[in-house]
Amino acid sequence: MATQHSRAAARFMIAPSVILLLAWMVVPLAMTLWFSFLRYNLLMPGDNPFVGFDNYSYFLTDPAFQAAIVNTLLLVVGVLIITVGGGIGLAVLLAQPMWGTGIIRIMVISPFFIMPTVSALVWKNMFMNPVNGLFAYGADLLGLQPFDFLTQAPLASIIGIVSWQWLPFATLILLTAMQSLDSDQMEAAEMDGASAFSRFFYITLPHLARAITVVILIQTIFLLSIFAEILVTTNGGPGVASTNLTYLVYAESLLRFDVGTGSAGGVVAIILANIVAIFLMRMIGKNLDA
Amino acid sequence: MARAITPGRKAVNTAIGAGIGILIFFPILWTFLTSFKSEATAIADPPVWFFFDWTFENYGAVQERSNYFRHFWNSVIISVGSTVLGLLIAVPAAWAMAFVPGKQTKNVLMWMLSTKMLPPVGVLVPLYLIFRDWGLLDTRTGLVIVLMLINLPIIIWMLYTYFKEIPGEILEAARMDGAGLQSEIIYVLTPMAVPGIASTLLLNIILAWNEAFWTLNLTASNAAPLTAFIASYSSPEGLFYAKLSAASTMAIAPILIMGWFSQKQLVRGLTFGAVK
Repeated sequence: MATQHSRAAARFMIAPSVILLLAWMVVPLAMTLWFSFLRYNLLMPGDNPFVGFDNYSYFLTDPAFQAAIVNTLLLVVGVLIITVGGGIGLAVLLAQPMWGTGIIRIMVISPFFIMPTVSALVWKNMFMNPVNGLFAYGADLLGLQPFDFLTQAPLASIIGIVSWQWLPFATLILLTAMQSLDSDQMEAAEMDGASAFSRFFYITLPHLARAITVVILIQTIFLLSIFAEILVTTNGGPGVASTNLTYLVYAESLLRFDVGTGSAGGVVAIILANIVAIFLMRMIGKNLDA
Repeated sequence: MARAITPGRKAVNTAIGAGIGILIFFPILWTFLTSFKSEATAIADPPVWFFFDWTFENYGAVQERSNYFRHFWNSVIISVGSTVLGLLIAVPAAWAMAFVPGKQTKNVLMWMLSTKMLPPVGVLVPLYLIFRDWGLLDTRTGLVIVLMLINLPIIIWMLYTYFKEIPGEILEAARMDGAGLQSEIIYVLTPMAVPGIASTLLLNIILAWNEAFWTLNLTASNAAPLTAFIASYSSPEGLFYAKLSAASTMAIAPILIMGWFSQKQLVRGLTFGAVK
């Protein structure tokens, strides 16, 4: 039984973590919020007057913002569809008995461990380049015109690259969930004459539902913040064709040095992420009780 | 009871599995192969697969072009440093929450997790300005601190879930046998906690090694780790595929191998115990 003494010790042991995370959360957040109400540009020294919601109305009515919101949603939803769909398929496949499971799994998982700048540059140059890339070579073999992926379909190309990085994550989580699938139940269904199709939809998919939700929520948190892949492939362009919210805030603050507008954009990004976070936290919280 | 499966069926499974596996792995394999080609061979049409004059010259060229090993070393210091620092702070906290849970423990854990949901871009501006004013821009110290803070919630959570699995009865048994608090910690708990701590260490080094938001925005050249160094290849000079491949291969090889050993920890660490 915990004593008075050990409770005090416990508090003392938890304190450093709490204080650090509290400072990490509160201080920059308060600064972002404060800056977002100032006219504050690093290129224009002088006092930074309070301008109320000017930055917000500027940021929110900027056509680039609307494009960025649409791009952010397309990027998140596109990657989710590919990775969750592909992940379910791969998890079902890899759960089947086969030889060399270990090595096959290692190959499937590997892209997740590749740093974002490397995967983006490898795809950009060695695959998607319209002159020297392998895709151009493949198109040539088929008698097709080479396609300049990152100029003609920048967002779709980035969705492809990011999906390659995140497919292993979805697969791994869903495969873990597959392992707790009751094989007796499967067998009984098969004996009762249930087709592979109905076994998948009435047993496997409901069993995976919880894991799928977790994958969607966690990936969404990370996908909202995709940055490096865009920076090294398209720089958000052409125009703003591949600019997402994260990249737009980066461009406002560190390329145009507009601290006020950048901060307003940061606040918008926080609100957007929080909407997802609330759902994720609820799911994890429920599990903690169990 | 698992049913017997025909060898034919198993062979088909294996063929499909291996085919998809190779397809997904192919870009990594291609990068590896290209790193040993000459620049001319790297863009040869038709592509050359295995039979070419293997050369190590790209690896030398990459080091010469921009002192590769300094960036490699930066990556090592930043990822290991931030993880070890994070562990020093997190172990006591996770320990206390797992073994002396109070009424607020669950809320504290959830709150810690919520800090991880904060999008980095939401605090980019203030952090950049703080770094500028404190002279932390482009320093390894600055990055160690930031990466420690962004991974701290994951570290605490992973440790907590591992510590939770240590049965409390063992502690009671040790106490019955007359072990004091100190020997309890040294002889009973520590050996049981080491595997969990090691797993946490491994996964967080991987995450810190590959972190590419703060490392790109808060470094220029001095403290740039490999993520930022590789990004400098986005504005190419002449033929560079083989050199890009060599730089990439060296940047991903150590972490890829670590990753292969950490599949289980990955699930635990990134789903916060929501999928088991």
